[in-house]
Amino acid sequence: MSNCGCTTEQKPAEVSVSGRDRDGIINPMYDCQPAGAQYAGIGIKDCIPLVHGGQGCTMFVRLLFAQHFKENFDVASTSLHEDSAVFGGAGRVEEGVLVLARRYPELRVIPIITTCSTEVIGDDIEGTIRIIKKALKAEFPEREIYLAPVHTPSFKGSHVTGYDECVKSVFQTIATKKTKPTGKLNVFPGWVNPGDVVLLKDYFKAMGVDATIFMDTENFDSPMLPSKAIETQGNTTVEDIADSANAIGSLALARYEGASTAKYLNESFEVPDYLVNTPYGIKNTDDMLRKISEVTGKEIPESLVRERGIALDALADLAHMFFANKKVAIFGHPDLVLGLAQFCMEIELEPCLLLIGDDQGRKYKKDPRIEELKNTAHFDMEIIHNADLWELEKRINAGLKLDLIMGHSKGRYVAIEANIPMVRVGFPTFDRAGLYRKPTIGYKGAMELAETIANTLFAHMEYTRNKEWILNTW
Amino acid sequence: MPMVLLECDKDIPERQKHIYLKAPDEDTRDFLPIANAATIPGTLSERGCAFCGAKLVIGGVLKDTIQMIHGPLGCAYDTWHTKRYPTDNGHFNMKYVWSTDMKESHVVFGGEKRLEKSMHEAFDEMPDIKRMIVYTTCPTALIGDDIKAVAKQVMKDRPDVDVFTVECPGFSGVSQSKGHHVLNIGWINEKVDTLQKEITSDYTINFIGDFNIQGDSQLLQTYWDKLGIQVIAHFTGNGTYDDLRCMHQAQLNVVNCARSSGYIANELKKRYGIPRLDIDSWGFNYMAEGIRKICAFFGIEERGEALIAEEEAKWKPKLDWYKERLQGTKMAIWTGGPRLWHWTKSVEDDLGVQVVAMSSKFGHEEDFEKVIARGREGTYYIDDGNELEFFEIIELVKPDVIFTGPRVGELIKKLHIPYVNGHAYHNGPYMGFEGFVNLARDMYNAVYNPLRHLAAVDIRDKSQTTPIITRGAA
Amino acid sequence: MSQSHLDALYDYVQERCLWQFFSRSWDREENIEGVLNQVVRLWSGEEPLRGTPQERLFYADALPIVSDIKGRFDWASTIPAEEVKFLIEGLKSRLTETVITRSTNRELNHHLY
Repeated sequence: MSNCGCTTEQKPAEVSVSGRDRDGIINPMYDCQPAGAQYAGIGIKDCIPLVHGGQGCTMFVRLLFAQHFKENFDVASTSLHEDSAVFGGAGRVEEGVLVLARRYPELRVIPIITTCSTEVIGDDIEGTIRIIKKALKAEFPEREIYLAPVHTPSFKGSHVTGYDECVKSVFQTIATKKTKPTGKLNVFPGWVNPGDVVLLKDYFKAMGVDATIFMDTENFDSPMLPSKAIETQGNTTVEDIADSANAIGSLALARYEGASTAKYLNESFEVPDYLVNTPYGIKNTDDMLRKISEVTGKEIPESLVRERGIALDALADLAHMFFANKKVAIFGHPDLVLGLAQFCMEIELEPCLLLIGDDQGRKYKKDPRIEELKNTAHFDMEIIHNADLWELEKRINAGLKLDLIMGHSKGRYVAIEANIPMVRVGFPTFDRAGLYRKPTIGYKGAMELAETIANTLFAHMEYTRNKEWILNTW
Repeated sequence: MPMVLLECDKDIPERQKHIYLKAPDEDTRDFLPIANAATIPGTLSERGCAFCGAKLVIGGVLKDTIQMIHGPLGCAYDTWHTKRYPTDNGHFNMKYVWSTDMKESHVVFGGEKRLEKSMHEAFDEMPDIKRMIVYTTCPTALIGDDIKAVAKQVMKDRPDVDVFTVECPGFSGVSQSKGHHVLNIGWINEKVDTLQKEITSDYTINFIGDFNIQGDSQLLQTYWDKLGIQVIAHFTGNGTYDDLRCMHQAQLNVVNCARSSGYIANELKKRYGIPRLDIDSWGFNYMAEGIRKICAFFGIEERGEALIAEEEAKWKPKLDWYKERLQGTKMAIWTGGPRLWHWTKSVEDDLGVQVVAMSSKFGHEEDFEKVIARGREGTYYIDDGNELEFFEIIELVKPDVIFTGPRVGELIKKLHIPYVNGHAYHNGPYMGFEGFVNLARDMYNAVYNPLRHLAAVDIRDKSQTTPIITRGAA
Repeated sequence: MSQSHLDALYDYVQERCLWQFFSRSWDREENIEGVLNQVVRLWSGEEPLRGTPQERLFYADALPIVSDIKGRFDWASTIPAEEVKFLIEGLKSRLTETVITRSTNRELNHHLY
């Protein structure tokens, strides 16, 4: 509680942006592109992604999803082996697709996701798809199974770029012509949790906006039913995707996760695309709602004014008493980290270290949110792109004082070892229960996140006997 | 009984060779499932890759060794936070993973320089660590990087470090099993007999094929301590790199996991004349027999009997309490391979549990010889089972509990079947006397979980009432 | 030799003994021969061989077999030494047939481990 924010030295706050200066990675922040592509694929109904590569590229990613959501997701592998490395693996793609089509009669979409190995081998995925389509037509004349080529070599980008790539490829495969206007709004929320999707749906319902969320992952939180039915799969249908070309517009909520698809729909079908800041915190949510209102002509309803007010009311109890002058490090997806940093500024937390991004540093450096943080930060801030978690750990080892760490579970030991309170947010959050159900975006998400931060700090005060008596009366 | 072609496999009839239903008066010479064969693409197999067999299963267990993964970041990310093998030095092995973060330019121009720099960086960042294992991955193997030459150069530049290289990209072999093999054989060829350690007992063993899952090795170590037996090397639970270089000094190799580590025991026998004793470390009956054999080998039978008497006095009453309540429980085991034959008879003899179906991810035909010899009649024995097969088998055998991985565990939860983590355990250790009581307890708590009964209730059904679930009364 | 005695022994060994399932045919052969020869000695009250490490291991593997068999089967304590030898020879050939000669394990004869 003794941090002081006064700037007696009158040194202007400095915001630096730099990349990791090591070649190697110690503790990666992200998985590779194919992992992100698989995540996009499982958001589609009646879809099983087929990963063209070694079996580990699928098995571990399925495990990762299971860790985060406590659910099983179906992803198939072409089980690449030595012979394919020598003679090419196209045959295994063909066999994989046919086996899937035969054994899963409901199947309608198969994204074919390449990996580092099959990109190095140079398998011709597009050519193979043309061949398989003929075979499918012959064997299943009544069925249409969409095969989307997804090029996601692991030696480029990260699971963030892989997600973006797969969404785009699926839309390019299925959304191929403009037909009848639907009056609907396409929404690309990015890599968010079911809790966020539910929140967005509530907002659109409250505004009377007919919106389609890509990908609709609400059922990634699925029930145990008396019927024993398994409902764990994406809700986004082939029809939803096909109809995206007929929407009134596309709203992208994450610059690096799905926005390129909104752009594609604009370029190909003149569906206007709108990119807003990822709606972490009050202002970002305001801006999103205003944009929705502007695009659809619908008014922002009283209910959201109230929800906003309740959130502000809750945040006001916390900000200047408990959060002010607290130093925070945040790591994870760039859209998440930058959005959370903006939110931190609203509640008087000081995000002094932001770890974002993969090798796409040029892109991130130009992000307007970084410009905004540069202009508004009243404290020193370090932004590291192409970061790994060692960047965080080594700064702490060297004496960086942090009051809070925010990020996903892969960073848990940094916090545990340094005894710094940590709030799990982002992907994956396997070491805390049920987080996938809790929204982090919107007013409600801001409120719940801030309250989680507060309760985490409170528990830490108690465990460390650090003025825990303050809470004797609050 | 012939091999079984399941309904879901009618389009992939070759699966019939992999599934056996044991009938009276048959033995392995008549019906042995084909195992360690390539997976059919698109079948949703459970298998991982050779790289993970080497890194995640064996090498990455070591508590003092940098695991440098030469390839894109995903292979590092995916083989991190997926195991529960603690160590007595603060779990260095679980906290860190290293990647050379290979990029497209390295695919074109080679990645050896990148590897060399990453190795130096890793040693520089963690100056107390002097041992490293370097792994190739699919792309670095495909482009032909010479990691052995790089390792040699780094060892020349840094005389105080020792580096071991493992060349088994994910696409080699048909499963993780290939990686076990490559690491075993590489280690005996290059590292065994390169160091001598102080011998402190007349009785020395290597304990091979136990990876300290939730403290297995540490629990068994208390037995070796009581018996006055010096463990030269744990391969590799809670083990060190240098201990493994001294494996040639042991008088006896005690092997638990013959699948992952039988190779090195065979080679130690061939090259150094050290006999190989295979034991089962799970189960009272088996553990006692293993201790008796080890003690008989050394002529210290009375110490063994004293230990067994002490342990049984302490744990047998607890085991029997669970046995009384687990009697007749139907269990399925869907794990890697060896746990099928380690467990099928021990749960039957010690707990009265019937194993009704077993599936192995990476077992070889040898493993099926063992498990069919030990297992029950009317039980299914499956090689490389896939998801649809699991559903069908569940319908056929109706298990009360399944020991498997967390992802499959999440899947069967929807079918109201509880799972216990058969790989990383729920609350282990499971080896030894105390461990088997832990296993029994976890199985009991799973089988008697009230929620599965509540899940079966349909609240719309007026003829039903929700029962009060009592446990322990069984 | 009683067929039922042999069946009982065979079932016991199949279920209990991992040494019959070592990786290669020559290891299995060596183990069947080595362990079961020690079984004969122990069963008949002869002194087991304990000269080399391998002999000591065969002895250690044989001990629980003999003690289990005598514990489980009354006839095991009464049959004459000659019959024991004969019975074990029968067991050896039956095990050899099962785990070596007619085993379809494709790795049994691979020359490398």
